[in-house]
Amino acid sequence: MAITGTAEAPTSPEAQLPPRSTRKAWLRWPTDRWGFGVAVVAGLILLPLIAVLLYLGRESVEWDHLVSTVLGGYLKNTLILVLAVTATVLLMAIPPAWIVTNYDFPGRWLFSWALVLPLAIPTYVAAFVFYQGPEAAIPLLIWIRTNISIDAFFVAELVIRYGLLIVMLAAVLYPYVYLACRAAFSQQSRTVIEAARCLGDSPRKVFFGVALPMARPAIAAGTALVIMEVINDYGAVHFFGVPTLTEGIFRTWFNMGDKVSALRLAGIVMLAVAVLLVVEQLLRGRARYVEAEASSVPLVRTKLPRGRGMFAAMVCLVPLSIGFLYPVTRLVMWAWANLTSDAGVPIRAEALGRGLLLAAGTATAVTLIAAIFMYAVRLRTSATRSSLGRVAGLGYATPGAVIAVGVLVAVGAFDRLDLPWVPIISGTLFAIAFAYMVRFFAIPLQFTRAGMDRLGKPLEEASRLLGKSPMATFLKIDLPLLRGPLIAAGMLLFVDILKELPLTLILRPANFETLATTAFSLASEARLQACAVPSLVIVIAGGIGLVVMNRWMSAPSSHE
Amino acid sequence: MKRLLFRAFPFVAGLMVAGTTVSFAQDDELTLYTQRHYAFDEELQQMFTEETGIKINVVKANADELITRLQEEGENTPADLYMTADGGTLSRAAEAGLLQPIQSEKIMESVPKFLRDPDGRWVAITQRARVIVYSKDRVAPAELSTYENLADPSWRGRIAIRSSSNSYNQSLMTTIIAANGAEEAEKWAAAVRKNMARPPQGSDRDQIRAIAGGLADVAVVNTYYVGLLETSEDAKDREAAAAVKLFFPNQEGRGTHVNISGIGIVKGTKKADLARKYIEFLLSDKVQNMISEATFEYPAAKTAKWSEMQEGWGEFKADEVSMSKLGALNAEAIRMFNRAGWE
Repeated sequence: MAITGTAEAPTSPEAQLPPRSTRKAWLRWPTDRWGFGVAVVAGLILLPLIAVLLYLGRESVEWDHLVSTVLGGYLKNTLILVLAVTATVLLMAIPPAWIVTNYDFPGRWLFSWALVLPLAIPTYVAAFVFYQGPEAAIPLLIWIRTNISIDAFFVAELVIRYGLLIVMLAAVLYPYVYLACRAAFSQQSRTVIEAARCLGDSPRKVFFGVALPMARPAIAAGTALVIMEVINDYGAVHFFGVPTLTEGIFRTWFNMGDKVSALRLAGIVMLAVAVLLVVEQLLRGRARYVEAEASSVPLVRTKLPRGRGMFAAMVCLVPLSIGFLYPVTRLVMWAWANLTSDAGVPIRAEALGRGLLLAAGTATAVTLIAAIFMYAVRLRTSATRSSLGRVAGLGYATPGAVIAVGVLVAVGAFDRLDLPWVPIISGTLFAIAFAYMVRFFAIPLQFTRAGMDRLGKPLEEASRLLGKSPMATFLKIDLPLLRGPLIAAGMLLFVDILKELPLTLILRPANFETLATTAFSLASEARLQACAVPSLVIVIAGGIGLVVMNRWMSAPSSHE
Repeated sequence: MKRLLFRAFPFVAGLMVAGTTVSFAQDDELTLYTQRHYAFDEELQQMFTEETGIKINVVKANADELITRLQEEGENTPADLYMTADGGTLSRAAEAGLLQPIQSEKIMESVPKFLRDPDGRWVAITQRARVIVYSKDRVAPAELSTYENLADPSWRGRIAIRSSSNSYNQSLMTTIIAANGAEEAEKWAAAVRKNMARPPQGSDRDQIRAIAGGLADVAVVNTYYVGLLETSEDAKDREAAAAVKLFFPNQEGRGTHVNISGIGIVKGTKKADLARKYIEFLLSDKVQNMISEATFEYPAAKTAKWSEMQEGWGEFKADEVSMSKLGALNAEAIRMFNRAGWE
């Protein structure tokens, strides 16, 4: 319902806008259909978040208790993870991105796309694979306990567990920064780099003095996504026993039954992410100037001599091994053990089909809605519209469980209106698809915005001057030209929905299993071998999606 | 580019059709909201459908999340039955007004008194004893006695137990509060935390593995995990189970803590008759005997038999404190864990 309703407004034929200059659009009730469409979509997305905020005003039972006991620990763990994972991600992502863009070496082509693959591995799957690590370290820990002291043992246990969690999270999340960096490096003005080289700068100086500062906005954008993923992670931190703010939300809400305090924690999370987005925006603000100067001098890669080529390959191989090759090898081994035993295949074809259909359908619909939405937002320069455009991405900063409850409240209230001819939405796939849209709208929004930034206005303005309506312009000019970013966004969305767990668990209709929920219930029964099967299917489907995404991201924006 | 729209259309249309058809249960179908995610439960549901022709639609999620869902869906909820793997949560659902009395003498009389709601709104299907397991090599059974004894400094660095966010630990804690009072209970939690071999992490199985690996000497786990490891498809699991033995604590006093998996009928359902049929089915001797063989939980019905493995673990005295009392103490238990620094 939500989806069809929002799609309708912009698709209706609509043409005559008054000239932009004669009207100030500041904070005015939308009078044209495009503005109305923007308001409706943004309103629908904000509805569950507002429903959640309504709880904030109520009296909280446990807040003081939380502040005096566990809040400090949650904050500390969250901060440690964010800082350490970010640092590790930068180390894992930037060097391969630079090398892959600028040099030729053995395996370059393979690495250039394979380095994206760790994104296909959900953190909760990586967690149950990597949790074998602390178990393997038990003999070492026992040695420390018997030969040094029990306190040294406690410290060692902590270091191993936190270290492993940090490396693991970084290894599956670094592709966000890798992708952003690679795009930035390959778009950087070759002339600037060449100039630096001609002036006698060493490759190192070119990298640190020119390329890296110029890529800063892209790095900031990728890092922002990584940090949001870390803050929102529930499965991995729970597995490793490192309670962060998000786990605190779950504990407070579901264990202590105190919604208000849980939502205050969610408020802290959302505030932190909002600050992050502002910082990212500030850094990105300067980027336009740099990108505008990008020249069309074709990119020439330097061929590396043998020894350095091997080193380059190693730099790429390390993050790929930790983030993809190792976990996938383990999964394949377990899955093989399961499939060759008589335990039976733990996935039902029906679950597989439905889960894939839901992910594909929702990804397609949400991407198209986001494209139309972004187009409408940019149709006229207006503070209201552009801030609505920003706010619509807020769901990405909100933990899945919080969105789930927001959707439950909003949809429940809608159902109680008992409108004639409108079926009940609670507990249907509509509710869950709507929740995915709220949660992930930022992804297609970002891709579309970046794509439209790059296109600029000339073609669109030419089309309008020739008397075409905004709708016709959108269908004939923007949509075809944005095909690359849109397909890339749709694929990333597909992978994210496929991996999504907390929201799906809470909202899913009866008898509805996705690959993620199947993997989760097997993992909670600690059936590693059986659990590896659906996990592997997620990784394969997600991997295919990511390879397609990668192709369309690196493709020139408008080839036909 | 319209082509893209056309190509997308089947997906969107499919989604819509699926969206409207999936969740509307027929008159002869039941909808069950359950916390239990065992493959065995699915077998039981299929068996019930074969016997009675009544189909069961299932929504699986965390018990407290399902409470939230029931509350927000209100009278539009498709749920007829609510099932948890924790008595405390079940009695909280009853106190929140989400369940109606089961109204069947037959059902209520088939289980011991302490395994059902005094007001008849829920009933246990299985019992789950939370016991101490210990290393065969490094612990003499004479060292073990009670849960309270785990606070003794002699256990420093030797105990493995999972997080306080786990409902099994929470309800164990409520029994300690009920038995010894709030002050003693909080001291106990702080002392046990100090005695842990490592900060709490992982599942009950991981605690048993920690003993097998030599990291810890004792762990507090539910009995059926030992059974599940012993019969696991994975050889490493079977080795872990072989390294430990089971001890039923507090046999001299109030008895070992027993939690339940239980079920109630959702308030407002028009299918209470069908729902009762399913509960009767779950408590039938046939199904109860299957449970003790398949999941190694203890059956709840008075007349049901234990599995051979359970016979091997031996008879024990269970703590018969009422679940509704424990449910009411749950929030207090969590606050104590938080103050004691038990993550």
